[in-house]
Amino acid sequence: MDTIKAVFDYTLKEHLRHKAWLSAALFGVALLAGGLVASALGQEERGRLMLDLGLAANEALAMVSAVFLTVHLVLQEIESRAIFLILTHPVARWQYLLGRWLGTVAAVGLAMAGMGAAHLLALQAFGGAPLLPYLGVLGLAFAKTAVMAALALLLSLALTSEAAAMAFSGFFFVLGHFAPELRFLAEKSGSVPVRTVMVAFSHAAPDFSRLTPREAWSGGLPDPAWFALAFLYAAAYAAACLALSTQVFEQKEF
Amino acid sequence: MNALVFSGVSKTYRRSHLGRVTETVGLSGLDLEVRRGEVFGLLGLNGAGKTTAIKLLMGLHLPTTGAVTVLGRLVPDVDTLARVGYAPESAYLNKSLTGRENLRLFAALSRIPSSGREGRVADMLARVGLEKAADRPLSEYSKGMLQRASLAQALIHDPELVVLDEPVTGLDPLAIKEVRTLILWLKSRGKTVLFSSHDISEVEKVCDRIGILSGGKLARLMSQEEWRGRPDALEQAFESSVTRTDGVGPIDL
Repeated sequence: MDTIKAVFDYTLKEHLRHKAWLSAALFGVALLAGGLVASALGQEERGRLMLDLGLAANEALAMVSAVFLTVHLVLQEIESRAIFLILTHPVARWQYLLGRWLGTVAAVGLAMAGMGAAHLLALQAFGGAPLLPYLGVLGLAFAKTAVMAALALLLSLALTSEAAAMAFSGFFFVLGHFAPELRFLAEKSGSVPVRTVMVAFSHAAPDFSRLTPREAWSGGLPDPAWFALAFLYAAAYAAACLALSTQVFEQKEF
Repeated sequence: MNALVFSGVSKTYRRSHLGRVTETVGLSGLDLEVRRGEVFGLLGLNGAGKTTAIKLLMGLHLPTTGAVTVLGRLVPDVDTLARVGYAPESAYLNKSLTGRENLRLFAALSRIPSSGREGRVADMLARVGLEKAADRPLSEYSKGMLQRASLAQALIHDPELVVLDEPVTGLDPLAIKEVRTLILWLKSRGKTVLFSSHDISEVEKVCDRIGILSGGKLARLMSQEEWRGRPDALEQAFESSVTRTDGVGPIDL
């Protein structure tokens, strides 16, 4: 546990010193731009626009940061050879990967929390937002980010190219929003190979429909069981990615 | 009792590009034993297999055939690493952290109990002369300071076996002398030291035994008695034992 904490600590410090502030700055710009547009709308639309814009900007910036940071996370440490010194200490490779992933997710999570707090404050000018649903949606966005970070880590280790890992992460991110549709199309397809490929992709990509409470704002929050299942799904998907990453990483020589 | 045993160790690097596979031999059937408490030098030309041997014993590479035993246990073995200190040829440290933060990290990774960690870090920083620069990021350190920080991380957990890969390469004469003093200090405390070098004069001064590697094989094993009091004995032995394998011919002026 001490080992994972040590890797977590230095990863978090590294991110906070380098890049994590950037997403918060971009978020501020997005909110400012949104505010300018909103000033031309009616009171009700203004509040709704600022709410949607803020949540979308928060999630998008967190997602981009998480994928960007994660694909560089291990590959850069291999390139700079700093990994030599870490792995020549009594550190199991799974401990290293878990600590690095947790540190990155925590750094992005802190940025999301900061952006969320700024957003909630800004929303006060437009009549405020209900806190519990807001936190629920933000929590789910964080879970999506953690899932994408685990997937990007796996892809970076398997493909050993940052550009390829980023491209495939983007591909799986898009695919993840259409997982049920893919399965529906697979059912309708008459071709067995096409059906097999579609089903395989729909299961390989994270199913983001499980992490999107569409009814959160219109018909109140989903019940706690739905949330528990959503977080369980995110944890299971991330754990599977990390287990596969460890398998790939164990084979690597430096 | 041996600290380190290479038994018939071979390492072949395979690279595949567009279906074409190329193989490079890093080590070929290496048999070598390093005794506990001795200072052992690995000598050889570039590409002779010195760094490959060190990476195998540190678990960074896996042998193609044969076995490496470190402090009585087959490697790779994570737990054994708690008893080994390693400083690579360059200080591959995380430059975004300060000297103190780096040492804290390695102290934690080396399983030093948290209660004694801060004291140990402060002590090591003082020992390598970095206490004044401890809270500056490593990105501001000079090469000599980085080398000291690298040595500090290798020694922070008081290891039984210390492995130094080219510890004097690129250092100024004063720093070289300090590394020599460090190696002798480790020996006086009963530690086993394995280091690789191109520098025959340094090896002569501190080693109990040396192994000369050539083309991934152990070309010669010598002990101190064979070169002490005989100027140029080691250099002559080296010249007669090694063969260039990198396709470079001699300089002919």
